Amino acid sequence: MTTETVGSVEASDNGPTSTGSRSTMILGIVTLVALGVLVLFGLILSPADENQGEAVRIMYVHVPSATLSYVGCFLTTIGSAIYLWRKSRWWELLAYASAEVAALFTAFTLITGMLWGRPTWGVFWIWDARLTSEAMLMLLLLGYLAVRGLAADYQVRAKRAAIVGLLLVPNVLIVRESVQWWRTLHQKPTLSLAGAHIEGLMLFSLFTGFIAITLVFIWMVIHRFRVAWLEEQVDLEGLDEAIAERRAEGVVS
Amino acid sequence: MSTAVILAEATGTWPYVATAWVVVFGGMGAYALVTVLRGRRLSKKVAPEKRRWS
Amino acid sequence: MLSDAWLIARKDLKLEIRSRVALNQVIPFAILVLVLFAFALDPDRGLLEKATPGLYWIAVLFSGLLAMQRSFAVEAADGVTDALRLSGLTPSGIYLGKTLSVAVQLLALEVLLGVGVAVLYGTSITGWLLLVATIVVATAAISTAGTLFGVVAAGLRVRETLLPLLLLPVLAPVLIGSTRAFEAALSGTPSEGWPWVGLMSVFAAVYVVAGIFGFGPLMEES
Repeated sequence: MTTETVGSVEASDNGPTSTGSRSTMILGIVTLVALGVLVLFGLILSPADENQGEAVRIMYVHVPSATLSYVGCFLTTIGSAIYLWRKSRWWELLAYASAEVAALFTAFTLITGMLWGRPTWGVFWIWDARLTSEAMLMLLLLGYLAVRGLAADYQVRAKRAAIVGLLLVPNVLIVRESVQWWRTLHQKPTLSLAGAHIEGLMLFSLFTGFIAITLVFIWMVIHRFRVAWLEEQVDLEGLDEAIAERRAEGVVS
Repeated sequence: MSTAVILAEATGTWPYVATAWVVVFGGMGAYALVTVLRGRRLSKKVAPEKRRWS
Repeated sequence: MLSDAWLIARKDLKLEIRSRVALNQVIPFAILVLVLFAFALDPDRGLLEKATPGLYWIAVLFSGLLAMQRSFAVEAADGVTDALRLSGLTPSGIYLGKTLSVAVQLLALEVLLGVGVAVLYGTSITGWLLLVATIVVATAAISTAGTLFGVVAAGLRVRETLLPLLLLPVLAPVLIGSTRAFEAALSGTPSEGWPWVGLMSVFAAVYVVAGIFGFGPLMEES
């Protein structure tokens, strides 16, 4: 299952013209090892849960993904705030990179959550407070990314996206709060996602999941950051120069 | 390795577990690949001194 | 700051009254939404009356969105934004003024829609104090957030599609809160509604602060 990751990560870090560097190569290798350990413990060594059965194995990727989707949002808001305050492009690009990676992990959280819910609750979706607020988080992130990806000047895109990014965490907090009240005031309290009694090998698998997925997150944000940096450089140098360069390359090779 | 295990023990919930893990690992792999390829394509257009990490 | 806000609000409202777009297009649209809900939900089974709070606020959001989009289309055309920037008005004043004018338009819309649901859906109206408080706070929340995101989307080619994408998820708590508060008021249990009024006040406060500080950087660029 990990072959895809292996191929891309190893290929990326050797070439001189890439977003890789020595440190990210080491990080990539450590990440792959951690993912291997996660597969070993999460799918093979750890036992099935008494209540949830095999479905508990979904938790080992679901819970870390959910946590990191929130970490990504937090980084986006911090980055946006510092950009607005200090006009620091570094922080703006960090905000952008982590928003995109956070959107990816939010998608993972939603999909794995639904796949866990089907065998456990019998339905893919219930209007659970956590599921609903995660879905809203996805929509908020898509809004940020839509503004950041506008076809406009860097200043325009970055500044407008930063306003949206600045409000990301406050919005997420208010949405979570309101959705929780909404569900608890009018319906019975929902089933707890982490209701299982987790200990021993299962706890260790979850722990491994946190380590591995966090490493993946860091690796992705670094590389996405560098891609964003390169995009801005290409924008700055202008289209004409890029075309000229590519023509020259075509002649050489 | 893991596919064999999944096939052998294909009880009710295993398909969901397998799908979830394939989605997450496949998604991470695909995103990593796309990001790296974008980086390689863009790197060629930018002078080496501006790629501060290399 | 406040005098600037007053100036901008008066200008916008005067413009709105003269152009009659709100009167000729937004208000008919709002009534149309109410009628469409009746087509979708069988009016004979009392579904409409039961669902009144939710339908009312959905109608407010959608027709309010229309009004907001208009309010920034007016600004973006003919380089009025540049004129505003050169006028020496403080950005926070401009923000508050725009918010105020949007709020006034929303209030007019809400009163009209309120009469609409009472007449068309046969909803009996009780719990006046909570209803009025909810309308005031929800209007503040919608207009503060709407104005800020309206300017984020203003002047872009994709603004018509971008503004709903940005604004509607953000306003989800306001929709939940205002609907539950209305339900509480109409079902005669107002004590359940007041926490939601509190939540929406917090929301509006967050956006007023964000708007006052965020409008400066937004006005600097094109």
